[in-house]
Amino acid sequence: MFSYTFQWNQALARLPRMLDGALVTMQIAILSMVIGVVLAIILTMFRRSGNRALSGFATTWVEIARNTPALFQIYMAHFGIASFGIHLSPYMSLLIGITFNNAGYLAENFRGALKAIPDTQTRAGRSLGMSEIGAFRYIILPQMLRISFLPMTNQMVWAILMTSLGVTVGMNTDLYGVTQDLNALTFRTFELFAIAAVIFYLITKAITLSARLIAARLFRY
Amino acid sequence: MKTSYLTGALVAATMIAGAAQANKLDDIIASGTLRCAVTLDFPPMGMRDESNNPVGLDVDYCNDLAAALGVKAEIVETPFPERIPALMSGRVDVGVASTSDTLERAKTVGMSIPYYAFENAVTANEQAGISDWEGMKGKTVGATAGTYEAIWLENQVKEWGEGTFRPYQTQADVFLALSQGQLDATVSTVEVANANVASGNYPGIAVVDKAPMVPDYVALFTMRNEYGLLNYLNLFVNQQVRTGRYAELYTKWIGEGEPASLTIPGVYR
Repeated sequence: MFSYTFQWNQALARLPRMLDGALVTMQIAILSMVIGVVLAIILTMFRRSGNRALSGFATTWVEIARNTPALFQIYMAHFGIASFGIHLSPYMSLLIGITFNNAGYLAENFRGALKAIPDTQTRAGRSLGMSEIGAFRYIILPQMLRISFLPMTNQMVWAILMTSLGVTVGMNTDLYGVTQDLNALTFRTFELFAIAAVIFYLITKAITLSARLIAARLFRY
Repeated sequence: MKTSYLTGALVAATMIAGAAQANKLDDIIASGTLRCAVTLDFPPMGMRDESNNPVGLDVDYCNDLAAALGVKAEIVETPFPERIPALMSGRVDVGVASTSDTLERAKTVGMSIPYYAFENAVTANEQAGISDWEGMKGKTVGATAGTYEAIWLENQVKEWGEGTFRPYQTQADVFLALSQGQLDATVSTVEVANANVASGNYPGIAVVDKAPMVPDYVALFTMRNEYGLLNYLNLFVNQQVRTGRYAELYTKWIGEGEPASLTIPGVYR
């Protein structure tokens, strides 16, 4: 039996604070994606480099990022490294945790994308006098980013949703943290979390739709 | 003939309606089980012993209440943020979870008279150089999200206009962060502070001062419209104090000394 009187005005009065939280959530997700893509490209190059130490490092990163819960990664970025005397704010811990996760997953996406690009293209570039880096930069990389563009959108959606794990490391300015705070204050659990869910949905929907538009514009043959 | 059918149908309808309108108190007595929401991350009020059984003052309080009602007690572990969903979705009948009776919350749930009152203490990391509660000004402080002291501390930080407030999800995380130096100080109930300092699990911390706040009165709670049950809860709390059980539980879980007074001079409740 569910007996609860919904009082939407009590929750809607707090909407501005929640929207501020949504901005912080988007900021973290976008930053973590930008840094994550750069790191993932570096990891991908490490894995292609043929250098054992570099490719070992990249493989370890990817394995940990993909095979442990994101919650664990964020928790480690806060309490884990703090036991070595490094103190990060909840914001930084959350950003580092999500970025670590993003880079791992994206590196794996990039690997899949590279598989779809024939090796002969690199060789063709090299025979035209391009350097190894140049061939990668001008021939392979643009194609790789194009093929993995939609998987990247997926990861972006994940990044948005992962920000909700920030509460475990004391984050209280992102959308989920703000909602938890307001919940403790007012006990209007259902209204507040329903509103938060709608905001999360709208953000992720906006990301997937705009990604589709961008893809349609950028990738016309 | 027709009329008697009609009468029969009416009588049946009235009985069903009557049953449907039975209140929570009747439901609990009829079902033979009292389901209590208890937070087991809040020693010494609610915790687990070595064999993982729920114990603590709140657990005993639920057992006493069930005994008074003549039913079986069932402890439903409920972290602080999940107390209201648990109640509203019908997973529990009553909350015995050290819930502060703020006016804001009383708009959503029904609160009994206070059954316990906490005083709060400032616990600091020894490296932070904090010797009294005002020393927290400008520092990084934190508390367990959703608690009375967290709400107080967050407002205090806002009032000071400097320093940072961080809520963690569990009491254990707060003290871990404090011990690691991520937090300079925390405010928690005196009971929790003493228990954690004494446990030795968190090196480098010390209780430095009392927090200058109104005692944190906590109440039992249930659905706002269940007056029958709320009346019963009020009488139950009164009887616990009257019979000396309150003092007995205080000695059992907190230690020697006087339990806090549950009345406020100069006003009725």
